[in-house]
Amino acid sequence: MLELRSIEARYGAATALWDVSLRVDPGELVCVVGPNGAGKSTLINVIAGVHRVTSGSIRLGTSDLAKVPSHRFCSEGIAIVPEGRRLFATMTVRENLELGSYIASAKARRKTSLERVCEMFPMLRAKLEHRAETLSGGQQQMVAIARALMACPQMLLLDEPSLGLAPTIVVEVFHTIQRINADGVAVLLVEQNVAMALDIANRSYVLEEGRIVAEGTPAELLAQPHIRRAYLGVGSDESG
Amino acid sequence: MSAPTKRSHRRALVAILVAAGALAAIPYAGLPLFYESFLYLVFHWIVLATSWNILSGYTGYFSFGHGAFFGAGMYTTAVLASRFDVPFLWTLPAAAGVAMLLGASLGTVVFRAREIHGELFALVTLAFTFVVGTIVLNTSIDGGPGLYLSGVPVPVIGPSGASSFYYMGLALALGTLLIAFGIVHSKFGAGLFAIHDDEDVAEVMGVPTFWYKIAAFSVSCGLAGMAGGIYALFVSYVTAGETFSIIVPLTVVLMSVLGGTRHWAGPAVGAAVITALLYSFTAGNHAIAGKAVFGAVLIVVILFMPQGILGWFSRRRPVKCNGPEVQQGMMLSNALARSQPKRAASTDRVLVARGLRKAFRGVQALDGVDVEIRRGEILGLLGPNGSGKSTFINLVSGHYRPDAGEILFEGRDLANCPAHEIARGGIARTYQIPRPFANLTVRDNVTVAAMFGSANLSREAAERESQKWLDFTQLARRADVRPDELNLHQRKFLELARALASRPSVVLLDEVLSGLMPTEINEAVDLIHAIRDQGATIVFVEHVMRAVMALTDRIVVLNHGLVIAEGSAAEVMARPEVVTAYLGRSHA
Amino acid sequence: MALPSLALLAQSILSGIFIGALYGLLGLGLSLSWGLLRQINLAHFALAFLGAYLCYQLSAVGGMDPLVAMLLIVPSFFIIGVALQWVFARFRISAFNSLLVTFGLTVIIEAVIQAIWTADFRRLTSVYGDTTFRVGGLYVPMSELLTLVLSVTLSLAIWAVLRYTDGGRAMRAAAEDGGIATAFGVNQKALAMLLSGTCAALAGVAGVCIALSYTLAPSQIYTWIGVVFAAVMLGGLGRALGPLIAGIVIGVSEAVTMAVTAPSWAPLVSFSLLIIVLLVRPHKA
Repeated sequence: MLELRSIEARYGAATALWDVSLRVDPGELVCVVGPNGAGKSTLINVIAGVHRVTSGSIRLGTSDLAKVPSHRFCSEGIAIVPEGRRLFATMTVRENLELGSYIASAKARRKTSLERVCEMFPMLRAKLEHRAETLSGGQQQMVAIARALMACPQMLLLDEPSLGLAPTIVVEVFHTIQRINADGVAVLLVEQNVAMALDIANRSYVLEEGRIVAEGTPAELLAQPHIRRAYLGVGSDESG
Repeated sequence: MSAPTKRSHRRALVAILVAAGALAAIPYAGLPLFYESFLYLVFHWIVLATSWNILSGYTGYFSFGHGAFFGAGMYTTAVLASRFDVPFLWTLPAAAGVAMLLGASLGTVVFRAREIHGELFALVTLAFTFVVGTIVLNTSIDGGPGLYLSGVPVPVIGPSGASSFYYMGLALALGTLLIAFGIVHSKFGAGLFAIHDDEDVAEVMGVPTFWYKIAAFSVSCGLAGMAGGIYALFVSYVTAGETFSIIVPLTVVLMSVLGGTRHWAGPAVGAAVITALLYSFTAGNHAIAGKAVFGAVLIVVILFMPQGILGWFSRRRPVKCNGPEVQQGMMLSNALARSQPKRAASTDRVLVARGLRKAFRGVQALDGVDVEIRRGEILGLLGPNGSGKSTFINLVSGHYRPDAGEILFEGRDLANCPAHEIARGGIARTYQIPRPFANLTVRDNVTVAAMFGSANLSREAAERESQKWLDFTQLARRADVRPDELNLHQRKFLELARALASRPSVVLLDEVLSGLMPTEINEAVDLIHAIRDQGATIVFVEHVMRAVMALTDRIVVLNHGLVIAEGSAAEVMARPEVVTAYLGRSHA
Repeated sequence: MALPSLALLAQSILSGIFIGALYGLLGLGLSLSWGLLRQINLAHFALAFLGAYLCYQLSAVGGMDPLVAMLLIVPSFFIIGVALQWVFARFRISAFNSLLVTFGLTVIIEAVIQAIWTADFRRLTSVYGDTTFRVGGLYVPMSELLTLVLSVTLSLAIWAVLRYTDGGRAMRAAAEDGGIATAFGVNQKALAMLLSGTCAALAGVAGVCIALSYTLAPSQIYTWIGVVFAAVMLGGLGRALGPLIAGIVIGVSEAVTMAVTAPSWAPLVSFSLLIIVLLVRPHKA
């Protein structure tokens, strides 16, 4: 469904992504893990149209996204839950959600979408008229996910959803992501919290220094000693 | 300072003095008086534009209030000369003094408010102009009809009455240019340029930003005031309405931006060009066309040459890369690492934080944190994202003030010290996302740190010191490029070089290894050991576990703004509550 | 200082409201482009005056009713605004540089005005300018009442659009976080051009109002800049009702000051207010 081939992306003079290829099949839940500064956010931003690639191709279904202007990405069926939530802070929760369904196809279904997200996130109903900046981190994350769902996407992109959240909230968030995926929405998730990510993924990629260095199911990846030591060396007998 | 730079400075100074000498001869050349008046105006605008640029161009605080200080000078001279019969030349220092005082007072109020910069500062200063103008107009200073100076005797300097103004203007212009030249090449100027690029970082690195801004503003206003004093006699009739308006500030902005705001001679070039342009159109029917051209020039310059004429020229010169010094650097750090035995950490406490609390917009980032840092140790500060590690560093380095608690460093409580004093005291930090001074070269970035940190060196000594650290971090090859041409690894090392150049006793490293490749991490680990072996104490926020294990003597783990564990790395990271906090769930 | 009679005070307050409404109308376009587009459009004033002169030309010379002239001027100015934004978008200009570029534009427009209409004072006489109603003991000039009505109507209309329509919400979102707004389908370029056109159209309306009530001269462009900036800052950038409310506050305080002391003290009030507000409650521009 989503296919990236040999993507290269830059920030100024620095190259953030080299020769990155990955795919997400319909209904899959795919994770990309890696350390800070590996390029995970750049990857998400490139797929969401927030950042442009310098070479390589991005195809969603039959559309070649490189030819699509940034503001049309959403109509192609992609919605993003950005790193750090990036809600429209001075606007209310309701306005944020309405903005989520800005595109024509989502606008037509706005009422039903709103009902659905309020059911999925019961705490939203009470906060609808509150300004987004008054919510706690966990609540903001829920709103960010709800906002993306309002776009009725075929594919959801999540950039480090666990960032800055308490562990119990993180568990909730990841359960929610699984439910969304179970409803048929493909998910591409980028995360630093390897354990949680591998817990829910169908397939995963490992991104280091702007390159894909490993790919496979969570079980396959965890079996690789390099991965285990680098990310899960804490608490195991192998240290340093 | 390197020899070529000294030579080019001498050349510039000689050029200025020669030009001044040549200009001084002109009144004796027998040219029509028109030229002397025209050149006087050029000198006049050179002073106004250059003085404006001293604050606004160098620090980035664009003032729209230059008219207020120019006007203050004009009125001081006008009142003293016409009402109190003070000899004209004596009124000039008074004019400068009044304007300077006015500027310093405004600056004291406005520079305290941290959010006033950019367009807001421009508006406050513009509004100030109208306030001062209204007061002048309505009180006995002016009273309404304006002041006449036709009865004031003009001191005779040179062959004619007109040449007096010529020489006064020339002298003031010369003085202003020399002052600007001096500032740009001094430590003060380096601080101003640092403020321009990132005021918060400059403050944390030891630049006393508030005082420097006040100083720049005062000099700027004083010069404008003196120019106003001379101008008052030149026009011999002053009115409030024309003086305290938006025209003077807009004109000086245009002149400086046209010539280049980062160069000491930029505003002068712009002043000469614009004055010539305006004059050539003043005659009759062309005045209107002249205005239109004036506007068009401004638009074209801003759109196509945002750095100004001189800025455009200096950008075209290619930057030479210095020879390969990679091998030397690496050998140096390895040698350092091996030669000195690993200094054992003492139990002597160099920094103690007690009960630290800090909240942002309802989120409690630190909730009562006690940490002690022992002299000579490498302390790891760990915790999941959002646990408060960066906030802790921001509090210790003075980037933010704690809501509660104390930070005792060598006996002093840092909690309410301004950040530049904390830096002077010997604390340096790196930023997780590198924040270099974007418009300074790599070398200058490090030099600024050496000048303003606890090393507190003169400009020349700082340049030598920065070379040493550039070699140490293997950046010497790229020392003369701008930071945006470096990759992430190099920018992180630049952060490190900057932190070290200030010769701190405590270094706070914020995720300096993240994003690096394994070989680069090895180099960085060696570097950090070498730094500690030179006597620094290091606090080290990191996620890269193997570096944490290899480097740290002790670690402290934060979660949700609280310390949850403390001790040796191997022991602490095995504790179940730490594993849970870090990973959410433990994995076998 | 002499305490004025109640009638005089009431009349002063009324004048203050009228002129405040004009400040608000002038400030509306400026505030919107500054708050939502990050452009400080100094040329807004020159554009308004161009509109004023065009209205004068069409009406005093061409014999058209000024309000009909407005119907011609407003759409043309909308197009000018769109074109300006198109140019602006090609050069990514910072907020401060936009101030400088628009200053250049101001000077050019002033030169054009002076070339066509000379520096002589021009006064448009119309039925609106000549008619004055008497309400109670107060004098209500028709042209100024018209200005008030237009100002209030337009401010409320734009407020409603920003609050309740998708497009308005999209503009506010784009101003806050352009990248994410784009990710949700907001076409920032198109919206920016729409907004810029609207601001220019508002300048045209303000110009017609100025022509109806005031004498025109090219140098007058600069006299309004300071006080309207004060109204914009006091009202909060990008808030549709802000300039109107702030403008009226400034206008009334100026008028009362004028009634109580001398007219020339008036600027002190508005600018001191501005300085105090900026120091106490700086807005993020």
